[in-house]
Amino acid sequence: MGNFIGKAVKRREDARFLKGAGTYTDDIKLPKMTQSAFVRSPYAHAKILSIDITEAEKADGVVAIFTGKDPCGDYGVPCGWQVDFKNGETMREPKHPLLAKDKVKHLGEAVAIVIAETLEQARDAAELVEVDYEELPAVTNPLKAMEKDAPLVHDEWEDNAAFDWCIGNDRAEVEAALEKAHHVTVMEYRNQRLAPNAMEPRSYIADYDVNGDRYTLYTSTQNPHLIRLLLCAFALGIPEHKVRIVSRDVGGGFGSKIYHYTEEALLTWASKEIGRPVKWTSDRSEAFLTDAHGRDHVVKSKMGFDKDGKIVAHLTDEYCGMGAYLSTFAPAVPTYLHGTLFQGVYTTPLIHLNVTAPFTHTVPVDAYRGAGRPEATYLLERIISKGAQEMGMDPVEIRLKNFIPPFDGVEQEGYQTQVALQYDSGNYERALKKALDKLGYEDFRKEQKKAREEGRLLGVGISTYIEGCGIAPSAVVGALGARAGLYEVGQVRVQPTGKVSVFTGSHSHGQGHETVFAQFVADKLGIDMADVEIEHGDTDQVAFGMGTYGSRSLSVGGSAIIKSIDKILEKGAKIAAHKLEAAEDDLEYANGKWTVKGTEKSVSFGDVALTAYVPHNYPEGLEPGLDFSSFYDPGNFTYPFGTHIAVVEVDKDTGKVELQRFVAVDDVGNIMNPMIVDGQIHGGVAQGVGQALLEEVVYDEGGQMITGSYMDYAMPRADDLPMIETDNTVTPCPHNPLGVKGAGEAGAIGSTPAVVNAVVDALAHLGVTDIQMPLKPQTVWKAMQN
Amino acid sequence: MKIKGNYTLSTTPEIFWQMVMDPDVLEKVTPGIKELKALSPDNYEALSEVKVGPVRGNFKGNLSIKDKVEQEGCTLVIDQKSKMGNVIAEIVMTLAPEGEGQTKVEYTGEAKMSGTLASMGQRIMSGVVSTLSKQFFKSMEAEIAARKA
Repeated sequence: MGNFIGKAVKRREDARFLKGAGTYTDDIKLPKMTQSAFVRSPYAHAKILSIDITEAEKADGVVAIFTGKDPCGDYGVPCGWQVDFKNGETMREPKHPLLAKDKVKHLGEAVAIVIAETLEQARDAAELVEVDYEELPAVTNPLKAMEKDAPLVHDEWEDNAAFDWCIGNDRAEVEAALEKAHHVTVMEYRNQRLAPNAMEPRSYIADYDVNGDRYTLYTSTQNPHLIRLLLCAFALGIPEHKVRIVSRDVGGGFGSKIYHYTEEALLTWASKEIGRPVKWTSDRSEAFLTDAHGRDHVVKSKMGFDKDGKIVAHLTDEYCGMGAYLSTFAPAVPTYLHGTLFQGVYTTPLIHLNVTAPFTHTVPVDAYRGAGRPEATYLLERIISKGAQEMGMDPVEIRLKNFIPPFDGVEQEGYQTQVALQYDSGNYERALKKALDKLGYEDFRKEQKKAREEGRLLGVGISTYIEGCGIAPSAVVGALGARAGLYEVGQVRVQPTGKVSVFTGSHSHGQGHETVFAQFVADKLGIDMADVEIEHGDTDQVAFGMGTYGSRSLSVGGSAIIKSIDKILEKGAKIAAHKLEAAEDDLEYANGKWTVKGTEKSVSFGDVALTAYVPHNYPEGLEPGLDFSSFYDPGNFTYPFGTHIAVVEVDKDTGKVELQRFVAVDDVGNIMNPMIVDGQIHGGVAQGVGQALLEEVVYDEGGQMITGSYMDYAMPRADDLPMIETDNTVTPCPHNPLGVKGAGEAGAIGSTPAVVNAVVDALAHLGVTDIQMPLKPQTVWKAMQN
Repeated sequence: MKIKGNYTLSTTPEIFWQMVMDPDVLEKVTPGIKELKALSPDNYEALSEVKVGPVRGNFKGNLSIKDKVEQEGCTLVIDQKSKMGNVIAEIVMTLAPEGEGQTKVEYTGEAKMSGTLASMGQRIMSGVVSTLSKQFFKSMEAEIAARKA
């Protein structure tokens, strides 16, 4: 091991972020740049009768106004994943126009863009655009969208289903097992809609250069190359080599900045039309209305147990809202990122999940921190705890009875689930026991008993989650409907002086790539971290990439870089052997130099680099230079897991929940930088707690959003959280070179059910077995009264 | 959003009724009204500017009166559009004589909002409506006083 891997190295990027010196898209000001504002629908569903831009066009500073009648691409933005109906019918994929043409299908859908010299002018003129609508009935709830007379989102189909899908064992077999089960636990609930709320709102600048017939799009995206591909090949039909996407500093994404948004394509098109750069930055209200939301599943589930508490079967039906259009990854979220996790960490022999995915008159839903896995984990970890409660068992005992035994994926084979996946390695009991020790579970139960006698409501909630990261390999995801490969690209360019530039196709929007990637690159090359620079977020600089989501950066992106490092060292050894006049086999590489084994004779990494670029005395037939690029397509997903435990006290008079302790023991495989892993867990837990206790996007019956600002949409704040007590177990991933699994989403996946389990536990003696999220004081109070 | 309230005015239902049915009076006393144009009897086109706290905007649309029962009450139908969103409301107003030459006005109804008004404004809109109602009746009272003088 070297000097940096596993160390809590401080984040190099923070120097600029903390000083306000980062360059986000909105910080960029180009010469002759114009500003823009959108005219958006105030209705969820309406016919556009007319759009009058006469007055707006006359307003000060207006450069151009475009509406859906302008030729801004016929197709609109595409969906990146295809999930067909069970009966073989092709997924219904509506056109998602850049500007609405005849109808608007969700609140906030853009009907016109106003481009002006200044932002104020653009906004003032946008107010002068007169749109005459005929409002139509709307449907916002996924279950209601499938009712017989529900208003149609897209008239071309007879109902609102985008697709339906199932996974697991034969339904009849699962139903039969449930019939025979000793006890069946039932849950019906809605996994509520969430707004992602990245700190930096979406921001784009499109810059068309007439001289080179080239486009540059500066965008706050999580995956620049994918945006280029979708923009060029689908939305606008322009040549890919004429487009450069730049997304350097991006302030948080959580999934919401993966997708190709209509505004990105429209600005790119408009920039060419007006021959000047165009900027648009979303304001917070627009973010609520137009950023892809998360979750929105209506769930009906049954889990059957035998008399010892062993799970015998699990059957679930879900209605998962897609919103008005299919966002880039939307069909994958309630299916392949969700149903494939239904095994959890348990040996459940029979599983069946059926998903119906309807369109609703709402903004599209897509992957949001965890994407399908938080929804699966919430269900499993709640229903097993509810089952234990109903059968008078301890939630720890029931889990221990059902755990998959430990396996490392090397000595023991990976675990084949009933729902398609094979887990790589896991030791679920170890993480649970460590978390219980850290909490002092037995002592807590005594304290809880005493508190109850005093009339205080204390509760503990356990969640033993598993999730799937670094989704792969490409051949498999292709068979599952992905329209792209899910490999990653890593280029390592050793400069003549031995300094190293690394280009990654993964993308940092807060994760700390510039630090973590430099740590392992420096160690693998035996050089100083200061000699390694990590570059990302520019398609002209980085060969290709699939971006960052699904905690894939290190396991997939990092592995691609390791492949290139291997090639560098292999070629370097040839050059070193030539310089040392020794056989390659007699050399060993350590601490930044090649040494002839058993001698003092050595040559440094820097010397070899210089020789590669000044090849005067050089191995015959070897190409000069030291620069390799690799594509890495992993053999499997990675499967982080762990145990989260929440301790709460519920106010008996008001129903307010106070989260008193939160213990998170996560197994994310090998850890490159424990400080960054902790930070990722902290942030994820805050988001998961937010879903459990506070957050919910609410559309009213007519499709108006009544939680469109922070006055009504409650984000967790520092004082809603205790200090999160983190720890780890380490079960390395057996199939990638760093042995890493991913830590970006674990916090958000494991925490939500832990908190809800704790609140239900606090009220269990009152007969409460379930409460609907978010657990607002009035909701909890009502549950206590029944 | 539910709208409900009452106000006692120091004039008789007869005079109040006359005043309410007079577009010139309405234009004068309704807060923010900049223009009230009669399209047909009991049907007006209204232009208004509302400024209450963070709710600011120019509204434009129809205002009509139906179900009229002289000196007893009527229903006010409001359909106003603005860049912040639109408001559609039906408000039932009933008049009853009270005490010595006074009128108790009760109003109740429902308003439906869209756009920014709905997503940002629901929480504050009832306060806005209450403020605007108070302004309306205060101006009406001033007008009554002016007529008496």
